[in-house]
Amino acid sequence: MNTSLKTSVPLGYPGVSADCWDEVYSRDGEIRENWKYLLDSLQNLGPAELDERAAKVGQILRDEGATYNIYQETPASQTWQLDPIPTVLGSEEWNRVEAGLRERAELLDLILKDLYGPRELLKHNVIPARLIICHQGFLRSCQGIKLPTEQQLIFHSADMVRTAAGELQVLADRTQAPSGVGYALENRNVMARVFPSLFRDSHVHRLSIFFLKIRSALAAIAPSGDRPNIVVLTPGSLNETWFEHAYMANYLGYPLVQGNDLTVRDGYVWLKTLSGLSRVDVILRRVDDYFCDPVELKNSSQLGVPGLLHVVRGGRVSIANPIGAGVIENTGLLRYLPAAAQHFLGRDLRLNSVKTWWCGDRADCKWVLENLPTLVLKSIHRGSNYIRVFGPEQSKKELDFWHAEILKYPERYAAQSYVEPSRTPAWQNSQLTPLPTIFRSFAVAAENSYSLLPGGLTRVGKTADSRLISGQFGSLSKDTWVIASEPERQISLMAAKAPEQSADDTSVDLPSRVVENIYWMGRYAERTESSLRYLRTVFVQLNARDQLPPAAIPLLLHAVTRLTSTWPGFTTANSSLMTNPERELQAVIVDTARHGSVANCLESMLRSAYQVRDLLSLDTQRIINNIRDQLDELRRSFASEMSSAPEEELVHIITSMLALAGLFHESMVHGTGWSFMEIGRRLERATQTTALLRAVLVEVPADSPSAVMLPPLLSSLESSMTYQRRYHGQMNVANGLEIVLLDRNNPRSMIYQLEALSAQVSKLPGSATRSVLSKENRLLLDAKSSLQLADLNVLAAVNKDSRKREALDQLTARMSNILIECNKTLSALYFEKTMLPSTFGYSDGDEGK
Amino acid sequence: MIYTIRHSTIYDYNDPISQCYNIAHVLPRDTARQSCLWTQLEINPQPNSHTARVDYFGNNCNHFNIEYSHKRLEVTARSRVKVAPPIQSLNLDFGVTCAQARENMNRSSEDMLDALEFLYPSTLVPPLEEVKAYAAESFAPGRPLLSAVEELNQRIYTDFKYDPDATEVSTPLQTVMNERHGVCQDFAHLGVACLRSQGFAARYISGYLETLPPPGKEKLVGSDATHAWFAVYSPGEGWFEFDPTNNITAGEQHITTAWGRDYSDVTPLQGVVFGAGKQQLTVQVDVLRTG
Repeated sequence: MNTSLKTSVPLGYPGVSADCWDEVYSRDGEIRENWKYLLDSLQNLGPAELDERAAKVGQILRDEGATYNIYQETPASQTWQLDPIPTVLGSEEWNRVEAGLRERAELLDLILKDLYGPRELLKHNVIPARLIICHQGFLRSCQGIKLPTEQQLIFHSADMVRTAAGELQVLADRTQAPSGVGYALENRNVMARVFPSLFRDSHVHRLSIFFLKIRSALAAIAPSGDRPNIVVLTPGSLNETWFEHAYMANYLGYPLVQGNDLTVRDGYVWLKTLSGLSRVDVILRRVDDYFCDPVELKNSSQLGVPGLLHVVRGGRVSIANPIGAGVIENTGLLRYLPAAAQHFLGRDLRLNSVKTWWCGDRADCKWVLENLPTLVLKSIHRGSNYIRVFGPEQSKKELDFWHAEILKYPERYAAQSYVEPSRTPAWQNSQLTPLPTIFRSFAVAAENSYSLLPGGLTRVGKTADSRLISGQFGSLSKDTWVIASEPERQISLMAAKAPEQSADDTSVDLPSRVVENIYWMGRYAERTESSLRYLRTVFVQLNARDQLPPAAIPLLLHAVTRLTSTWPGFTTANSSLMTNPERELQAVIVDTARHGSVANCLESMLRSAYQVRDLLSLDTQRIINNIRDQLDELRRSFASEMSSAPEEELVHIITSMLALAGLFHESMVHGTGWSFMEIGRRLERATQTTALLRAVLVEVPADSPSAVMLPPLLSSLESSMTYQRRYHGQMNVANGLEIVLLDRNNPRSMIYQLEALSAQVSKLPGSATRSVLSKENRLLLDAKSSLQLADLNVLAAVNKDSRKREALDQLTARMSNILIECNKTLSALYFEKTMLPSTFGYSDGDEGK
Repeated sequence: MIYTIRHSTIYDYNDPISQCYNIAHVLPRDTARQSCLWTQLEINPQPNSHTARVDYFGNNCNHFNIEYSHKRLEVTARSRVKVAPPIQSLNLDFGVTCAQARENMNRSSEDMLDALEFLYPSTLVPPLEEVKAYAAESFAPGRPLLSAVEELNQRIYTDFKYDPDATEVSTPLQTVMNERHGVCQDFAHLGVACLRSQGFAARYISGYLETLPPPGKEKLVGSDATHAWFAVYSPGEGWFEFDPTNNITAGEQHITTAWGRDYSDVTPLQGVVFGAGKQQLTVQVDVLRTG
């Protein structure tokens, strides 16, 4: 195409001259009708403004923690990439495509039912039996299993590409646990915020109603009557689309659970919560079907629930999409859809698939072998051995290899015509660049047919010649605007929340795994903060040596190791560490691999936070992101020579940690989850204070005044000012201990932690119903009375021979034991003992059964 | 012949098991030449749930869960089974040739649907070039299929040493090929693998073989064992069973429990347990003529 013919070139968009469809320009160089308003508006904004908005898009996604995990890369998660230029579909075309997709989903539903039911299609050879038998997604143990509804396929997604002639064709179907609809929603939310007026005036079809339909569809498949309990089953935070699982669970108002959170008892599936077992009626699964049950499916799976499939078989729990639905995610099946459509519907499909050949068919196989260099070869099954080979990119040798491979296992392969994807403009380097585009649709079962998300997830390749357009290969996503003929009413699930979900206090139903993560998040946050405070004190002391006698320095540094448990650290005999401690101090701060280091604690905290991300507020996400950045920053600045005032570098993180603590206090509902966070924090602070007291105050350094370590202790416990005001600078250990141990008004004193702990512990589920004082309460009472009965002067007294505060040593040792015991008791009571299941009687192989 | 069979499987655990979820294939199925007159499954301790069903391959299969602490699991299957003498003539030198059979396997028809399940590699029967080469010798295109299979059966019997100490149940086929010895499961898998490598459908069959005490001696309790053999499908002719461990075609003394693509489809007892520690497995089988 000759670009000079164009009436105007909006934002430098050159269009395409290659043999592919341009979504923006028509063949004669005119801007297509549906794009006009959008491009005009964008042009009015101008490149500088668009750059800014693009940055804002990135910022919002990052703040909201939208990630897509890419396997085999560290750090594993990367912010979801959203291009600020939406892609546009006109009403008229959308209506056609929608009808085609609906029809396709209906057909796939019929096929699914047939394959696990009467198998008419195979008996009449409409679909070759071998195609199904050789597909690992055909799970024989699912034969005869049915959802209570007529429809069996609840969710369907299709990946589509537009051919050079402008026709949208289906490349592949997704029928297991299609991902992307949550990202599509997030994309929309971000776009509506970044381009409010453009979005408002463009009459874009709203997405939220689709999520109401998801809810209805899930409620409809419940085995029995009203108020079904619905959960979202995720493989966990390592999964590539974990963000979406948490996001969807939150948006739909369902608990997000992992396999270990569920258990099969008395023929039903139950969620293990703090308050006991709670029956589950419907599972929205994001775990591939083969992994759902180690008893009957993949034996080595740790992601599933033992015995789940048999409960499904008994009709006592429903799963969407049903286990086994992966059988229609078969590349070779595309070849036979027209025949199946004729068989069931008596007509041709409205929406074509990309031309596909199945090598298990002799004639097809011959054709594929002859034309391999121009085709895309794919495994029929999208499992761990999935291959996708672009013929044009293969060397002669590679082609020979695949030729032989096809001959060996013809049934396992299918080939498709290579369709050069259409191009959509994306914002790159301050101009519009045409990039190859694919589009994913989302359908959910509704009223005996399917409802389509009016929009979808559009993805564009990184560069103009990207062939693999997938999140795994770093593609960009786009919001997809289906332009309505008139404005629509706005519906959001946030307003009309969960009418069909049972109305119990949701915090009671927290899975114990979640609670455990919250608890550890609190502990690690506090541990990080304590370590940082003490390290700051150490830096200050080291840089102002006149304050401490040289003999006190080893004690000061030993305490670093003892407090953080970064053994052996400063406790090794290496005396040069005492004169040049910088390197070891750096390691204690930024070496993530070092167990107990600040970075290590922070990572653990971030990991726990990530596990419970669906419970964290947006502001919390933001602070967590800041902490991540600050940690990186700290690593960078500590990588070179240590600066003159290293303590200043620690201030930012300490401040963020305080902000985090403040947020938990102020913006989290003070329910069970919060209680565990608080217990974690208090228990950790008590533990750290005890450790600090033991490390710096028990021993008195040689040739030093007996209160020499009191100032660093007070400053590390944030109690210097109080001490100064109260005692006017007279350093007296007994006075110091009073503030640190017994001052009820000091939020950093031991007694304060213990009382806060007692208060929270007695609020925990089950605690009130027990008539005798629970073990954890007894432990805390014991700790409190030990403290209160202690004589401060005795604690402060130094034994002349040993130069130790023996009574303090004993008291802190006792405290330390009680706190450890307390942690054990609470864990045993409330946290799921992660006893891993083991299998017996199975064979090594893991092929589909 | 009518047999009374007792098959008990006992797991003893050193440490308590908090839950277990199990599937058992221990009750005999009906076949063309065998009918089950009576069956009973006894599980100790008492399971929280127990259901019987017929699986994808038509086998009797039992699901049961025990959801409380236990240190011993005992599963005893009892049955009375009537086995008819084989209908097939012992003269296998007639009938469909290998070439015809292979070509017919490629034809799709309704009754082929069942056989197709047994034509492709499966969990314990992976495709191995070595197996293919080993099998090829017997399957000349013009030769009647069943005569070829009979030869294969005999070759396995001759070339491979029966050695009950040699393998555990899950010995990979490759190891069996390399070491040239194994137990009945291995020989059945090998037979299946050879047949599939040549383009024929073959089943793995698990069951029992009646053993007779030495003349003049009483039969000892628990002296029998589970057994395994294979069957081949000849298009138009049906299924034919061969026992390579004993170099015979399966007869009146072969009692079928279940069949599948390989052992993993018909494992007598398998499942998931929650608990740590060691376990000890005891299996006892009695096959008695009672009519």
